[in-house]
Amino acid sequence: MIGARRDGFLLAALGAWVLTPIAVLIVRAFAQSWRFPQILPDATDAWPALSAAGTGRVTSALIASLALALATGLFGTVIGFLIARSAVRVGRRFQQLTLAAAFFTVIAPPIALGVGLQVAVLGIGLGGTFTGVFLAHLVPVTGYLTLFAVGVFASFDLSLEDEARTLGASPWQVLSRIVVPLLGRRLGEGLILGGLVSWGQLAITLLVGGGVVRTLPVELLSMVQSGNDQAGAFAALMLSLPPMFAIGLLTVGARRTGASL
Amino acid sequence: MSRRDLPGLLAAVVVASPVLIGAVYSTLAAVGLVGVGAQGFTLERVIDTLTSSETWSGVAWTFATAGAATAVAVAAAFVLAVRVRDRRFGQVMAMLPMAVPHVAAALAALLMFGQSGLLSRLTYALGLTTAPADFQPLVYDRAGVSLVLTFVWKELPYLTLTAMAVLLVDSRELEEVARTLGATARQTFWRVTWPQLWRGTAPAVIAAFAFLVGQYEMPALLAPSNPTALSILIYERAVDPNLLRRGEAHVLGLLALSISGLLVVAHQWWRARAEPGP
Repeated sequence: MIGARRDGFLLAALGAWVLTPIAVLIVRAFAQSWRFPQILPDATDAWPALSAAGTGRVTSALIASLALALATGLFGTVIGFLIARSAVRVGRRFQQLTLAAAFFTVIAPPIALGVGLQVAVLGIGLGGTFTGVFLAHLVPVTGYLTLFAVGVFASFDLSLEDEARTLGASPWQVLSRIVVPLLGRRLGEGLILGGLVSWGQLAITLLVGGGVVRTLPVELLSMVQSGNDQAGAFAALMLSLPPMFAIGLLTVGARRTGASL
Repeated sequence: MSRRDLPGLLAAVVVASPVLIGAVYSTLAAVGLVGVGAQGFTLERVIDTLTSSETWSGVAWTFATAGAATAVAVAAAFVLAVRVRDRRFGQVMAMLPMAVPHVAAALAALLMFGQSGLLSRLTYALGLTTAPADFQPLVYDRAGVSLVLTFVWKELPYLTLTAMAVLLVDSRELEEVARTLGATARQTFWRVTWPQLWRGTAPAVIAAFAFLVGQYEMPALLAPSNPTALSILIYERAVDPNLLRRGEAHVLGLLALSISGLLVVAHQWWRARAEPGP
């Protein structure tokens, strides 16, 4: 009885800890003014807030972020799965080496990666361009997706490919009729995961994009630093909604198939 | 190495190559051979940067805030994993902050912990303070209170889900066996649950710490300017109007990459130790 009450308290504390910052963002985004010492704003009117912040900067930044997320998710999934497929077919030592390399790209400070990549991207004339930022985002995205795909291939029966080849299937037929259908859902998850990694990138975008490529995180930082908290909070919500939707989608998918996320 | 291993080696090279290319460029830029402000080979920037007290106070502050946040997040994740691992609400709540990007979480912290933020308003309403200036600064403060709390908020989901996965897969049957054999709840926790939990989550703990060390978005909005977090120091040098200082960004970047490299080695070593061999 005491244990159940303690767990209930723990869950309530967890709910408050997690939801309060999100609630604060929602209130700030939709309140015309929220002056000290008001704990809650007097009146909320969503439309002026939305029209001020939603048009122009946030919208174009949202489009740029979506395009980058889609492109990096797509290319990252293809590259990550190809790398992982090569890695799982070899001995444990080289598999570990690939995993370590992928893990390094995941945890290496984006700002440190960005400083080196900035010089490299400038060298090929792509500094301050969408393509340059796309290439730079691909680095961490590929790392995440390689780690993800190695996990996927751990439960994938590679002998199916060999059997199909023995029966005379061409490499294209093996790919289109065996590998892609069997990995379909996982490829979709990879696309979402890759998109999410790109979606939140700020440091790399700032350095490689040089302030010219305005993604939603770049715009949000600029709004907050210029003191425009309301537009910043609105941009923060726009930035948080797609990941919430994607995580919800993955969770529902995982529950339906009995897989763990 | 056999021919069969070549694709594996190639895969590792492909994954690592962008980082290696960046690191090579950074190395060349650090010694003044390429990049903006390059004036021929010199070790001056490397020596100046690595002997600067600003660099090492920044590194120490970064390690301290990342370490404190990781310790708090690990403790909270373990408690949640043990107590509420079977509760759907707990699982959903534990996962939710994952969806909020770091820069958005930092803004929420600013709105909560700033001197005119929500907490300050609550203390005013309770009569504990009479003006925003009376409220203890929790943002841009040397102790990094709001930064550490925001780090914890963002890292808790990853660590909690990892700990829950470890317990769901590895511990349940062993716990039941221990209880059947007469172990008390306390004995079961310390002799069965805790060793499984620690061994299973240690690589994730190292990864979380490494990730926080390299964080840029949250320090950019919440950290003080003195000492300066390592990531902020790198960015400031990279965009310094004085072109001669930009080489310092590369030295600092290489320092950060070296720290990450050491943490990757620690992570892989611990994983290899925790996982059974082939």
